[in-house]
Formats: sequence, C-alpha cells, structure tokens
Amino acid sequence: MAYIKLDNVSFNYRKDQPVLKNISLEINKGDWVSILGHNGSGKSTLAKLLIYLLKADKGTIEIDGVKLTEKTALDIRKKIGIVFQNPDNQFVGVTVEDDIAFGMENLCFDRAKILQRIETYSKKVNMHQYLKKEPHNLSGGQKQRVAIAGILAMDTDILIFDEATSMLDPASRDQIMDFIKQLKAEGKTIITITHDMKEAIKSNNIIILNKGEVLAQGDTKKILTDKRLLNTSNLELLLPLKLMHRLKQENIHNEELGEILWQLSLNA
Amino acid sequence: MAIKFKRVNYIYQGMDGTPFRALKDINLTIEEKGEFITLIGETGSGKSTLVQHMNALIKPTSGQVEIYGIKIEETKKKSSKIKLNPLRQKIGLVFQFPDYQLFEETVERDIMFGPMNFGISKEEAKKRAKEVIQLVGLETGYLERSPFNLSGGEKKRVSIAGILAMEPDILVLDEPTSGLDPKGRDELLELFLSIHNKLNNTVLIITHDMNTVYQYASRVLVMNDGNLVFDGKPIDLFASPKLSSWNLDKPDLIDLCDKLSERLNITFENYPKDLEKVVARIKAGYHE
Repeated sequence: MAYIKLDNVSFNYRKDQPVLKNISLEINKGDWVSILGHNGSGKSTLAKLLIYLLKADKGTIEIDGVKLTEKTALDIRKKIGIVFQNPDNQFVGVTVEDDIAFGMENLCFDRAKILQRIETYSKKVNMHQYLKKEPHNLSGGQKQRVAIAGILAMDTDILIFDEATSMLDPASRDQIMDFIKQLKAEGKTIITITHDMKEAIKSNNIIILNKGEVLAQGDTKKILTDKRLLNTSNLELLLPLKLMHRLKQENIHNEELGEILWQLSLNA
Repeated sequence: MAIKFKRVNYIYQGMDGTPFRALKDINLTIEEKGEFITLIGETGSGKSTLVQHMNALIKPTSGQVEIYGIKIEETKKKSSKIKLNPLRQKIGLVFQFPDYQLFEETVERDIMFGPMNFGISKEEAKKRAKEVIQLVGLETGYLERSPFNLSGGEKKRVSIAGILAMEPDILVLDEPTSGLDPKGRDELLELFLSIHNKLNNTVLIITHDMNTVYQYASRVLVMNDGNLVFDGKPIDLFASPKLSSWNLDKPDLIDLCDKLSERLNITFENYPKDLEKVVARIKAGYHE
C-alpha cells in the first residue's frame, strides 16, 4: 500500500488561477522521489499541502493510511520533516542550538534526549563548533546545514527537501546530497523538489509537474532520458544524456556507449 | 575606468564580537564598457560584500573604492557626506533575494520606485515599467499584481525589471538565476547578453554556475576567503590546477570532455564550447 497517496487533489490561491489540478499520485515507503517542474508549476504548493500548511480545495491526501484533515494534521506532521529553499525563512532560535532543538521541543522529546541529539546531529552536519552562535551570522550553506540538523534530529519517517540546495554553492550542495543518500539508505521516505537534473538523477522515481498537473511519473532513467518530455516542462537533459540523444540522431549508438554516458550522467 | 578598488579591506564585527575580515587587500578595476564579468567563489567568500562596495552600499574599512571618479573611503572620513544617489543610478545592483527588494503594493509601483527616486517623471516611469516587465519575460498583466503573491522565479524577474528601469550604466546582479528552472535561467542570461550587446555596457554577474562562466563571460573573478585569487579569462581558470582548491567545479562541457577522453581514449585539441564538436569528435571514431 502506498505510504503517501494523493487522490484527485486540487488547490488554488485565487479562483481563476488553479495552482494544482486533480493531482493523483502514490509514493511508497523508503522511496526517494524527485518532484520536477518549471517555476510556478505547483511543486512547492504540493509540499505545503502535504504538511497541511495549505489545505486542499478538493481531493484527499493520505499518509501512512491516515487521511489528512485538520484533526489528524498535528499527528501527521510529526512524521514529516521539511527543509525549505531560503534558510532565512526557517530560523526561529536565538542560537544554532535553540534552533536545532525547536522541532524536537514541538515533538515533546524529553530534555536529555534533546541535548543528546543536538550533539549528535550538529556533529553530523559539521556545525558542532557553531552551537552557541546566532544563526544570522552564518553563511547560506551553514544555515541550511543547521536547518537539516534540526529536521534530522526529529527522526521523522518522511523528509521533504523543497529546493533546499538551489541557493547553495556546489560544495554545500554535494554535502546535502550525501546526507540525503544516507537517509535513503536508512530507510526514510524522501521527496526532493528541484529543477536540478544532477540532483534528480540520484532519486529512484520522478514525478513531473507541468502547469499544476502531473505530466509524467515513473522510473528515473525512463523520464530523464526523454528529451521531449523534459523540454515541455522547461527542463533539460543532463549533458551526457544530451550527447547520447544527439549520437542516436547521428546513428551512432550502441549499448556500451549508452551505458558509459548514463554512468557519467549519474555522477555529473 | 568606472570602478577601481585600491587595497580595499572590509572588516565587520560579528554579533559575538569577533571581527571578521570579509575583504582582504582587494585591487580591482572594472571598465564602464564592454565587459561581461562573472564573479564566483564559495558562499561566505566575500562576493556579495565586494559588489556592495561597487555602489557604496558599504564603505571600505581601509583602502579606497573609486566610482566614476568619486573616492569612497572609510566611513569616518568626509566621503560619507558625498551624495551617493547618482552613483546608485549609474551602477544598478540586483540583490540575491528578491524579497528584500520588493515592497510596493503592485509590481508596477515597485518597478517605478527606482526611476522616480532618481528624478524620472511618473509618466516616464510608467512607460519604462511596461517595457521592462516584458523584457524580463512577464506579461504586462503582472503590473497590477501584488509582488508578494508571485512565485520565487517571478519575484526574481520583477526585482531585475526594477533595476533595468533605472537604466544603469553598469549592471551588477547577485545570483540572478539561482532558483530558476533551466529555461528561465537561459532566458535571463540571454537577456543580460542582449542588453550587453546592444548597449556595450558592463555586466557583472555573481553565480555558482560554472556553465554561465564558461559560456557567457569574457572575464572571471574568483573570491576565496576574502581574497581575490583569480582575475582573467574563463578558459585559463578552468585549466588552472588550483580550481579544486578554491572548491570550484568544472563546467559540464569541460567535465564531459575530460571524462570521455578517459573512457573512450579520445583527445580534444581545445575544449569546445559547443556539444556539436563532441558529437563530431566521437563520429570520427573512438576506442574504449
């Protein structure tokens, strides 16, 4: 049974401008799914619906067999951690330490457990030496790492990364991708919202949103090698795959070359 | 020359009281015409601090920044009395996060704010708003909307339109394409290039995208830990053995060529700027 299930979900901010239209999709436990789409395709709105920051106008959302409603929202939120694009919008604590503690306090972890987990997860994201510092003195990458430590410490089953790396430099981005790989290995269910193909290719399933509708969903390789599909959604083939596509047009293709180019795109 | 940095240092006091050297002895000249510059470096390396000196939003702790002949020195000295408004019209700075730049009730009023602040009439500002909104790829219908109900990418375009409406001589953009989808990113870069080609004005872009550096820039500046460590041509940067020590990636095309050379036993005389050269090279034959 699907762990996260959306059935015919629609949402709009203004009546004449639907943001999401009849979205139906299923995500299994332990999956890493990328939600791709152009700016304004409804990707971030979808994430906000999942944590009940916004309420769907139509349709139902089920998480772990429980239908998401005002009554169940608080309990369901305990299963979901979310990291947003701009770290400045998610700081609440006076110090880094307070900030990491915030989510756990909401989950009513006891004090000893909170302190112990602050230690563990600040070390894990390499921010231990900054625990007493004020968050706004940190660089963008450092802030995002603190936000991630706070989310990891909550030990939720589901993690959503809403363009969490798009404001970061390549080194910070790689680090965060490594965390995500680790989480996936630990059996967490992961949703990354992105238009960075280098990130998307590391997930095992892809959902493409286009103008508020599901344009395609399925296996990563199938979707990320489909040039027409990607172009429709303002996305692009990774360069090795673009080369693969061009070589096919020139009638140069064999399995080995194709495999080499696919491997290169995995590590692009 | 339009902007000249002479041994510029900038030190600020962190909230915890320890001084932080954000810029260290920067020497740099930027011409008014003809340059398409990218400024790169890790987060926290001093890029944003550097460009904020370019229109005197912040002033050096020591050393001097000369902007169109006007010398900007340490805050305590007299230069603080200099009128900075004309400089800010000449050098248009677009911030990284549009949220910090948008504040009016409608997109139109937001775009009109800058030009009117510099003495442009309301009618003219209105006319410019209508032009620039289309230039950044949004329909004129957006003019009536509130800037706060826009998506991240749309906000970004509006904040750029606001600066374009001021018709600055030099355009400085702090990560103008971060957070945009690939098509949006390419459209904006083409827009900056076409403005640059039409007016021959200098454009300076802060970016983390090495493809932008490789495909667009005539000159690249690299900041590392407050130092300006490279000032030259992109192709020389990407050939530099120091690239990885500055935590910089290679552009995708160069990376692909390097990996193909290894895997397929082929060589490239020069790094191509066009994938078609790679296609042609593979067509010419390879051995695994």
